[in-house]
Amino acid sequence: MIRLARRDLNHPLRLLSTALLGSLAVVGMTGAPSSADEIEFNRDIRPILSDRCFACHGPDATHREADLRLDDEQSAKDSVIIPGKPDESELVARITSDDADLRMPPTDSGKQLTSGEIALLSRWIAQGAAYQPFWAYVPPNRHEVPKAADAAWPRNWIDHFIADRLETEGLGPSPDADRVTLVRRLSFDLIGLPPTPAEVDAFVQDNTPGAYERLVDRLLDSPHFGERMAMYWLDLVRYADTVGYHGDQDHSISPYRDYVINAFNQNRPFDRFTREQLAGDLLPDSGTEQKVATGYNRLLQTSHEGGVQPKEYLTIYAADRVRNVSAVWMGATMGCCQCHDHKYDPYTTKDFYSMAAFFADVDEERHFTDGNNDLPTKRHPELELPTEDQARRLAELAAQIDEVQAERGGVAEDEKAAIKALDDQINQLKSQQAEVRKNIRRTMITVALAEPRVTRVLPRGNWLDDSGPIVEPAIPEFLGQVPSKEPRATRLDLANWLTSPDGAGPLTARVMANRFWYLCFGTGLAGVLDDFGGQGEAPVHPELLDNLAIEFVDSGWNVKHMLKLIVTSRAYRQSSAAPDALAARDPLNRLYARQSRFRVPAETVRDTALAASGLLVTGSGGPSVRPYQPAGYYRHLNFPTRTYKHHADDRQWRRGVYVHWQRQFLHPMLKAFDAPSREECTAQRSRSNTPLAALVLLNDPSFIEAARVFAEQAVSAGGDTFDARIEYIFRRALSRKPDKAERALLADLLAESRQQFQDDLEAARELIGIGQKPVAAAADAAELAAWTSVTRAVLNLSEVYTRN
Amino acid sequence: MHEFSQPINRRSFLSNAGVGLGSLALGSLLHDEMALAGSRAAHGGLPGLPHHPAKVKRVIFLCMAGGPSHLETFDYKPKLAEMDGQPMPESFTAGQPIAQLQGKELKCQGPLVKFGKYGRNGQQISDFLPWHQKLADDICIIRSMVTEQINHDPAHTFMNTGTAISGRPSMGSWINYGLGSESQDLPGFVVLTSEGGRNPQPIASRQWSSGFLPSRFQGVEFNSSGDPVHYVSNPPGVSMSRQRRLVETINQLNEHRNRTVANPEIETRIAAYELAFRMQTSVPELVDVSDEPKHILDMYGATPGDGSYASNCLLARRLAERGVRFIHLYHRGWDHHGDLSRFMNICCGLTDKPTWALITDLKARGMLDDTLIIWGGEFGRTPMFQGKGGAGRDHHIKGFSMWMAGGGVKGGITHGNTDELGYNAVENVVHVRDLHATMLHLLGIDHRRFSVPFQGLDMRLTGVEAARPIREILA
Repeated sequence: MIRLARRDLNHPLRLLSTALLGSLAVVGMTGAPSSADEIEFNRDIRPILSDRCFACHGPDATHREADLRLDDEQSAKDSVIIPGKPDESELVARITSDDADLRMPPTDSGKQLTSGEIALLSRWIAQGAAYQPFWAYVPPNRHEVPKAADAAWPRNWIDHFIADRLETEGLGPSPDADRVTLVRRLSFDLIGLPPTPAEVDAFVQDNTPGAYERLVDRLLDSPHFGERMAMYWLDLVRYADTVGYHGDQDHSISPYRDYVINAFNQNRPFDRFTREQLAGDLLPDSGTEQKVATGYNRLLQTSHEGGVQPKEYLTIYAADRVRNVSAVWMGATMGCCQCHDHKYDPYTTKDFYSMAAFFADVDEERHFTDGNNDLPTKRHPELELPTEDQARRLAELAAQIDEVQAERGGVAEDEKAAIKALDDQINQLKSQQAEVRKNIRRTMITVALAEPRVTRVLPRGNWLDDSGPIVEPAIPEFLGQVPSKEPRATRLDLANWLTSPDGAGPLTARVMANRFWYLCFGTGLAGVLDDFGGQGEAPVHPELLDNLAIEFVDSGWNVKHMLKLIVTSRAYRQSSAAPDALAARDPLNRLYARQSRFRVPAETVRDTALAASGLLVTGSGGPSVRPYQPAGYYRHLNFPTRTYKHHADDRQWRRGVYVHWQRQFLHPMLKAFDAPSREECTAQRSRSNTPLAALVLLNDPSFIEAARVFAEQAVSAGGDTFDARIEYIFRRALSRKPDKAERALLADLLAESRQQFQDDLEAARELIGIGQKPVAAAADAAELAAWTSVTRAVLNLSEVYTRN
Repeated sequence: MHEFSQPINRRSFLSNAGVGLGSLALGSLLHDEMALAGSRAAHGGLPGLPHHPAKVKRVIFLCMAGGPSHLETFDYKPKLAEMDGQPMPESFTAGQPIAQLQGKELKCQGPLVKFGKYGRNGQQISDFLPWHQKLADDICIIRSMVTEQINHDPAHTFMNTGTAISGRPSMGSWINYGLGSESQDLPGFVVLTSEGGRNPQPIASRQWSSGFLPSRFQGVEFNSSGDPVHYVSNPPGVSMSRQRRLVETINQLNEHRNRTVANPEIETRIAAYELAFRMQTSVPELVDVSDEPKHILDMYGATPGDGSYASNCLLARRLAERGVRFIHLYHRGWDHHGDLSRFMNICCGLTDKPTWALITDLKARGMLDDTLIIWGGEFGRTPMFQGKGGAGRDHHIKGFSMWMAGGGVKGGITHGNTDELGYNAVENVVHVRDLHATMLHLLGIDHRRFSVPFQGLDMRLTGVEAARPIREILA
């Protein structure tokens, strides 16, 4: 591992080489420049110790050598470090020893210290070997906002941090993006959809002050805002429509997804959002919505496979929850501690099982006995969510049954015929009742057991080993104690602690603020969105991130406020173009001297094609939907075997966030564009660019149908001339007009296609017959097929799916 | 970077054969993928690789998923036969990881099949594998394998990535990342699955994930029915020439746009469309085995399109011929907790002869010399009895058998040994990491120097613990 001391990285040559070395540049740009004499533990020393030493001399007690902790100041200074005296410090003796048996790190570790690092460690000791607490566990401080030298550039305080840093680096910000790019960027970022031509025009032509802010407000108020935010949140909490293990049956959970969408739309404060999901059932004002929210605790993968040993699986579930809660809210990789104390961070095995104990009251064992191979399977406890109609109908039926039963009670036992007639009537009503009930939406919820399961520390994670001590619910010990009014701390206590200003709230806020930034810039201020630990990455702009975290708490955990703050900054509005010099200097755009450009997420790829074509059906919520999918894709599934049937109605064209999420076999279109299977928390999707994705856009019937409907629209509503229609198509798909070259290329394609389809009408009919959206009877098949070739070309363009 | 600033000839790109998967490199690397590694040569592969002359160009990994019993294939244990039914000595099992037998009474289960000695060195091979017996002089049997994970999914992950931690690249991804692809029109890492046997355990697609490497290095699964690769067929009504014309226009438009925005991602996309289009021809051509003579089909026992292991072995040869770097077959059905004899007959019946056919066919074509074949499961099975419906065996990780064959490997030898009961590998122990190091060595890669910085660690397929190529088996 090459961790370069940051001071070296400011050298121009070093910057050039770090550009080539990729991620090292990130490390290089993390801290402020420092003078040669000024050593800072967190910035300069901890990364070396963490990478080279902590595995054996760190937090993990089991694998600790020589009883030495270098992560612990006391331990280190009691033995191997004598502050101010490197020559007398055993640490220096060992890292400089010529004797291979004494020299640290040992050869078989595969780790080495460079001479520069050795010198650095020596100088640090000479300067007194000052330690610092690890940044991610230090609550954010409010930092003084620097003053950008160019006072005209900043629009809010974020910009002063960005500009100040750019000045230090000898860089300047990029010019503002043009208005079309801005409205497209904001639409993708805030609602996950491209703007309509009318929306683009309205913004471009609005020259009154505050136009930009009004656009932001409109998007934040859009019902599609919640859908876009849910796309991200559902990745974090690993929401899926199937159980994941073994038979991967459907389970009932989509109302939770709708809850998430609504919560973001209603701008539910994030602390309340947290409480509702972790412990909505324990809230004093717990209503249906809060109960639905507790579906969070049930999102994990489950199994009712014949041979499942409940005890083993309860252990698996407990661990799954600890991994998710710690990753989502704490940015911590506590999963390591299932078997051993964390090697880099101060989490212990006991912490792991103590966290698990918070969830030991979750009623979830019934499926081991009553889980079946129906679709959906059973995962009690579930909540029935009848619509108003269904509720009314059920009430009516219940009343009628009561009535008939009362009547039957009044009939003498010997009147056999009358009794039979009444019994028949009751049975009929009951079967009607069952029919209504069958169609009621259900959702898994959390119900607290009166007696929580006993939680033990499992030695080496072994579920069969009962020798470990019993633990009570507790937060990681080094973070303090969770306040509780109960004899045993509850999930609600945990949720409160995670968001309390006196508890982990400010730390949680920093984890989330980093993710808001990521959503608006494509990278986090700290690059690893789910690991704020020692092997994660320190933030590029620690002070900015701290202030954002404090702003989040102070705003009352106001998500829309945070996004508005970020997107109204000048930094956000910069052009994303990367001139060669800047691309070479900062290839990952960690300094934000420009905006980022990246391919939109999988769901948005789908939504964009549907929206451009006019096919998109925009209703909110409801059971998951099934678009076209290759036949036989589920052939490896069993218990039960199943055949995928796509939806034959309007549900076909709903947004990607509503698509059925089959964990073991995610829809190949979503998969090709890097949507995760949602087995584990995903805080950051990769953004690939592969032939498989090209094949989706070229040949997936969803995209062919969208192209055909798009072509129909262009022909019927786009005007009569070629130019008018091409302009119509470009404006809808790309928010801009085509230039001359583009017109020429597409005119060629149209002419050739027209000729070919006129010569082969059967082929034309086949192409325009794809998809279930009817073709207007009067359509000229060859003409429509030819225009479909044009719209197919446009819907395959890189630019359509690029957020600039 | 300069090669990308050259405008692509508008009319010739589809016939430009020099662009394979591996060469999609620099463009996307400049984005988030740039976090991964330094610059890359134009035609795939990392600069500086191979480290030394390679013995083989490609790997065919025959994964017997579920974990075949070493005690009924390549590791004959007369002592275990003697002790059949007696308690397993506690000296073997105390404190050892045990899967489903944990807490149960442990007794010895003798071999459920006869063994014979085959080939010039008298390699021991069981009667479940009559066709392997004919391969005795071609294969190098390793009887001293050990792994670290005792359940299927994590054990596969361990075998594929060298660790049970999720999110790491599979070996096929590593190799394509390092060496690039030799195929112009197929992915460099192809996965084929078949099943038949006991309780086919699922194989999740994460087993061929590229992990933190760019996702173009991920394995592509070929389906046995429907489109062999999703969406590889043109839509109805669109001929190949129309599709070609469409893709040309798309790339011309992308290229035109790129003159204004200079986005390396667009370059990558243009290359992706080129390859996508070529795959539309090459993939159907690959899986259409109607050009194979009958005697070849018979030799494999393949019925075209049946999705069997036999068909997959034939496809593996065709993929190898077309320059695919890593071909990974999974046959699901080897999880023999019970009724082992019956299920061994089924699994071996489905895989034994096709495996022989693959090696024989490659040899006849002169391709065995530059191909490495690896056979084995994610672990072995216990010397102890398990009885989920007749005698069977539980998962076992402390000693099991695999074999290697092909270029650079000594055929006809047996390497390593387990103890007298087949429990612990005791002689010339080969860890999964050593297997990886050996494979990389044969491909011309020094495993110690093949790393990618990720999340603060220097990631290697062979990890940070000791690993070495098994010199003793190298020809």
